[in-house]
Amino acid sequence: MRLNTKTLINLSVCIYEDQIGKFDWRQTYVGRIKFSQFDTVSTAKKIIVATEENVLAALNLKTGQVVWRHVFESASTGNIQLLAITDKVVTVSGSNPYLVRGWDSATGVLQWEWSLSLENDEQADFSEWWVQNDLLIHMLPVFGSHLEVSMYHLASGQNRGYTSKLPASWTRESTCVLTPPYYTCISGERGSENLISMDVTSQAVQLITRPLSEYVNVETYDGGIGAVDGSSVIPAFTVDDKKIIMIKNNKFEMLTTNVGDALASVALIDMANGPVVLQAWMDDNQGFTMTAHSVATGAELPELRVTDRNLKIPDPEVSSAVCTKSNREQLVCRVLISSGDDSVHLMQQGGRVLWSREEALANVVAVEFVELPVSDLDAAIESEFDQKEGSIWAAFSRRLQTQFTQLQTLVQSIQRGEGLEEDAPSALVRDYFGLHKIIVLVTDVGKIFGMDNLSGAILWQYYEADLDTEGVVVFTRRTARHPPHDAYLTVVGKQEGTGNGLIISLNPITGTLIGERLLKLDVQLLQCTLLHRPDNEKLHALILLDKEENVQVLPRSAAPLVENMFMYVAERNTARVQGYALVFNGQQVEAIRTWLVQLGGSAGAGHRIVVALGKAPGERVHSPGRVLPDRSVLYKYVNPNLVLFLTEGPDPLHKDIVVATCVDAASGAIVAAQSHRRARALPHAVHTEHYLAYLYYNDKHRRTEIATLELYEGKTRWLPAGAAFSSLSSERAPSVERQAFILSGAPTAAATTVTERSLTDKHVLLALSSGAVVEVPWVYLEARRGGAGEDGVVLPAHAPELPLGGDARLNYNRTLARPAHIHAAPAGLESTSLVLTTGLDLFYTRVAPSKTFDLLKDDFDYYLITVVLAGLILATYSTKYFASRKMLKQAWK
Amino acid sequence: MYFQSFVVISLLVLFNYAACIDYDGWLNIKIEHTINCGSEKYCSRGNIALKSIRAGAAVIDQIQFNKQHIDELKTLADIDSFYTIRSLVTSADNSKGTEFYSSVKAKAFLDNGLSDVINAWVLPNGAVIAVSFQVTNSSQPLPNRASNKINSNFYLRYVEQAPVPDTATYIQKLEREREAREKGDVKDNKSFLAKYWMYIVPIAIFVMISGASNPEPAAQGGR
Repeated sequence: MRLNTKTLINLSVCIYEDQIGKFDWRQTYVGRIKFSQFDTVSTAKKIIVATEENVLAALNLKTGQVVWRHVFESASTGNIQLLAITDKVVTVSGSNPYLVRGWDSATGVLQWEWSLSLENDEQADFSEWWVQNDLLIHMLPVFGSHLEVSMYHLASGQNRGYTSKLPASWTRESTCVLTPPYYTCISGERGSENLISMDVTSQAVQLITRPLSEYVNVETYDGGIGAVDGSSVIPAFTVDDKKIIMIKNNKFEMLTTNVGDALASVALIDMANGPVVLQAWMDDNQGFTMTAHSVATGAELPELRVTDRNLKIPDPEVSSAVCTKSNREQLVCRVLISSGDDSVHLMQQGGRVLWSREEALANVVAVEFVELPVSDLDAAIESEFDQKEGSIWAAFSRRLQTQFTQLQTLVQSIQRGEGLEEDAPSALVRDYFGLHKIIVLVTDVGKIFGMDNLSGAILWQYYEADLDTEGVVVFTRRTARHPPHDAYLTVVGKQEGTGNGLIISLNPITGTLIGERLLKLDVQLLQCTLLHRPDNEKLHALILLDKEENVQVLPRSAAPLVENMFMYVAERNTARVQGYALVFNGQQVEAIRTWLVQLGGSAGAGHRIVVALGKAPGERVHSPGRVLPDRSVLYKYVNPNLVLFLTEGPDPLHKDIVVATCVDAASGAIVAAQSHRRARALPHAVHTEHYLAYLYYNDKHRRTEIATLELYEGKTRWLPAGAAFSSLSSERAPSVERQAFILSGAPTAAATTVTERSLTDKHVLLALSSGAVVEVPWVYLEARRGGAGEDGVVLPAHAPELPLGGDARLNYNRTLARPAHIHAAPAGLESTSLVLTTGLDLFYTRVAPSKTFDLLKDDFDYYLITVVLAGLILATYSTKYFASRKMLKQAWK
Repeated sequence: MYFQSFVVISLLVLFNYAACIDYDGWLNIKIEHTINCGSEKYCSRGNIALKSIRAGAAVIDQIQFNKQHIDELKTLADIDSFYTIRSLVTSADNSKGTEFYSSVKAKAFLDNGLSDVINAWVLPNGAVIAVSFQVTNSSQPLPNRASNKINSNFYLRYVEQAPVPDTATYIQKLEREREAREKGDVKDNKSFLAKYWMYIVPIAIFVMISGASNPEPAAQGGR
C-alpha cells in the first residue's frame, strides 16, 4: 500500500526518447479504396487513393506504405466524390456544399481550394464530376427531363458563366451511366429498349441511339448497365454484365471480348500498342483469374494472364492499372486490385503480388488478447507434476526422461549458435513475463485477424463474407493453459441479411476452425454469455438466448453445469431491460424472466440506452476496502453483477436529460441512479471494482464532462470476510460518492488499465479526437480529491477541470487518426497492462500505472553492480586474510 | 375475500430529495403475483397508493396469505424457484400504466416471514423506472409467526441530480489565494515570537548551553 501511494504522487508516466518504438507500434490505414490512380506525372512513384473512410492518401508504389495522408471529416461533409490527377491531385469532397481542392502530389500539401454549393439541394446527390482539359465539369441529371452541365476553371473555380441545360427526356434513374464525357442510358419500353448516349460537353446536342437488341438478347436481359472499373481513358461500359461497349467517333462499338464471368471486374487500360480490356474475377475452381485482351484485335495477351489457385481475393475489383514498355520491349504492368474483404493488392504482370494492405483493420469492431501456449518442454515439465499416481520408480524414470530432453534442447541451442536465433521470428510460446500475446481483431467487413502483439505482424486471417459484425462479441472459451487442449475462441455475430446468429470458433494461435467451426443458426439471438464453470475438457460453454427466449448451450453436454446463471436483455431504443434466470430442469436449460425495468419511464418516453456496461468477467479485486487517514477502513461495494446503463431522452423542462442507472443484473434492483439536465450521453464509460465513470456532453456549457461514481458499503462490512456476495439476499443500498469534472478534450474512447492481480493502481485511458491517448490516474477522478489519502498523503487538490497533460500522453508524437476504441489486457507481469487503440490507426503500447516495480529498468547498470559485488567479495576475503595475519602476529607478541 | 390486512405508512425524510423532483402528482402501484391464482397467470396481491410523489407517503394495502398461498410458495421453494411479482404503475400522466416485473427467491421469502422491501425509483419528471422487490433479513421465520401477513416496507427513491463540476468555489478559492498573495506582506499579523521562533530558539539553546557550563566555575568560586 505504501508503495502504491508513493507512486501515485509521482505521476510522470512519459517515456524517454530512446524508448520510442521499443514496446509500442503504430500502423496507419486508409480504409476501403473508393478511387485510386497511379501518379505517373511526378517522378516519385506513388498511387493516390481516396477511400470510403474519407481519407486521401498517397501509397508508395514499391512498399505500399503511406507517404502522406489526409483524414477528412467522417460525416458526409468529408465524402470524396472525385479523385483526378492532373499536375495536381484534385478532389471534390462533401455533399452540397462541395469543396474542390488541389493537392501537391509529392508532399500532399494543399495548393488551392474553392467551394461550390448547388441550388438544387434535393437532386445534388446525383451529381457527377469529372475533369477534362483543366476544367472541372459538373453534371446534374434531372431524370426524365434534362441534364444540367456546368464547367469551372479547375484552379480558380471560375464559372464559364452559364449552366447549359441539355434536354434529355430519355434519362431514367438507375439505368444510366456516366463514361466521361458521354452519358448513356437504357431507355424505352420493355422488350424494345434503346441504348441512348450523348456527349454532354459538346456544344451541339448529338444523340447516339441504337436498339439494345443489337448487343444483347432483350428477352433474357436484366443485368442493367455499368461503367467499367478503374480510371478508364476510353468511354466504355458493360451491358447485362456480358458485353462491353465503347464509344468511339460518336458511335457505339461492341468489343469482340465478352465478360468472362458474371462477377468479373472489367477495366480498360491504355498501353503502348493500343487499349486493353483487363478482367479479374474469383473462380471457384481456378482461384483468382485475370485476363487481358486487346481491344483492337480481341486477341489475348498471354503475359498478363493470371490464374492462381492459392491467391484468395474475394470479389476482386480492378481499381486502377498502368502498363509501360520497359527498355527491353517487355511489358511492365502494375494492377491495383481491391477486394471484397477490404484488402488491397498491387500485382505485377504474371500475377506476383508486390504488396498487400489489409485495410479491413481500419474498422476494428472487437478485440481479444489471447495468451500463448507454453513451449513443448515446459508443457512436459508441467505434465510431469500433474501425474500424481504411479510408483516412485515411474516418477524417477519420468524425471530422467525430461532431464534428458532438456539437455538435448540445450545442446541443440548451442549447436545452432546464437546469431541465428535472433534472426528467427520469435516462436509462438509464452515468454517469462507473459508480455507476448496474440491479439485477435474482428473487423467490420467480417475478416478476423490474429496479430502478434510485439511486432504487429499479422499471423493469420480468416474471412467470412456472411458475418455481419454489428454487436459482435468475442469469447475466449479456453486459454492455452490446458495442454493437450488447444486454445478456443468464439466469435458470435449475425448473418448478413437474415440477422440470424452466426458462430465462428477458431484456434486463436493458428487461426484454424475448431469445435463448432462455422455454425449458422436459424434464429436471431438476443444475448449470449459464457458459462463460468468449465467442463471436463476445460472448455467454457457458450450460452445463447434466442428471440423465442429459448436457451441453447454449446456444447450441449455442458447444460447440467448451468446453475445460478442470470442474463439481461436491454432494448436500445425503448430503454426496456429484462432479466432472465437460467435454470436447468433436468433435460434442458430454461430462461425464466425474473425482472423488468423501464429505464426511460415507459416505452414511449423516447429514452434510449447509449451504454450498457458490466464488469469484465473474471475481474479480480485486490483489497476489499480502503484505508482512511484516521486508520479506519471504508469497505468497497463490489457487486460482480452490477451493470451501468446510460440512457438519454427528452425532458419537458430540461430539453435532454442523461440518466445513469446502476442495475444489479441478477435481481433487477437499482443500486444507484443519477441524472444530468441538459446533457447528451456519449457512448464511453468505464466500470471496474467499486467505481464507474462515464462521459456526457453538457449542452448548457457546451463542453464534455466526466462523471464518476464510487460505491461503498461503509465503515463496517456487510458480509463476513470471504463470504460470497449474493445479489438476491442483499437489500441494503451502498453509499455513493459522486463527482463530475470538466474535460478539456473531446474524448472518443475510454477504458481502464487491467493487470493480472489488480494490485497495481488503475488508470483511466482516454482517447481524444485530437489523436492522443491520455492516461488519467483514478485519484484525479475521485470524489474525495483535495482531502488526505491513505498514510496522510495529500491527494491532488480539487480542481473542476481534469488535467490532460502532455506527459500523460501515451502515444507521444504519434497522432492517431480517429481513435475509436481502447482495449486493455493484463500481462503476466503484475505492473504492466497491454493497451491497443483501434480506429483508423492501430496503436499498441504497454503501460505501468504504478511504475514497473517488479521489473528492472531498461537502463539498469548490470556492469556496475557486478563490479561492486565482485569488489565487495574480494574485499571481504582480503580483510579476512589480513585479519587472520594480524591475529597471528598479535599472538606471537 | 380480500380484507385490509396491513397498512404501512412510511414517511421518509424527504427534505433532501424534494428538490430533485420537478413534478408532483399521484401514483398508484397495483401488485400482482403468480401464486394461488387459479386459471389466470397473475392475480392481485395488493395495492400501493401515493397522494403525492414529492411527499412520498404511501398507503399499502395487501392481502393476507392463506394456507394455499403458503403451500404454493413451499412448492416453489422446494425447487429453489422464484416468486415473481408483477406491478402496474399508473399516474396522472400515465393512465394506461407501465408494467414491471421483479422476483425473489421463494425460499428466502418464506424463511424471512414474508417480509420484503419494495423500492420504486422515480425520474425527475415523475416517471417510475423500476419497482423492485427484495427480501429483508427478518429473524422471524414463517412457522413461528402468528399470522400470514405480508410485511412490506415501501420506499420511494428519487433519481438524484448529479453533481456538476464545481467551478464557482474553485474560482473563489483562486481569488482568495490571489488576494492573499497581493496583501501577503501587510497582512502578516502573527506575533513576533511566531514569526521569528526559528531564530530565537537556537539562540536560546546556545545561551542555555553556555549558561549550563558557566555555573561550574561560579560554584567553585563559592567554595
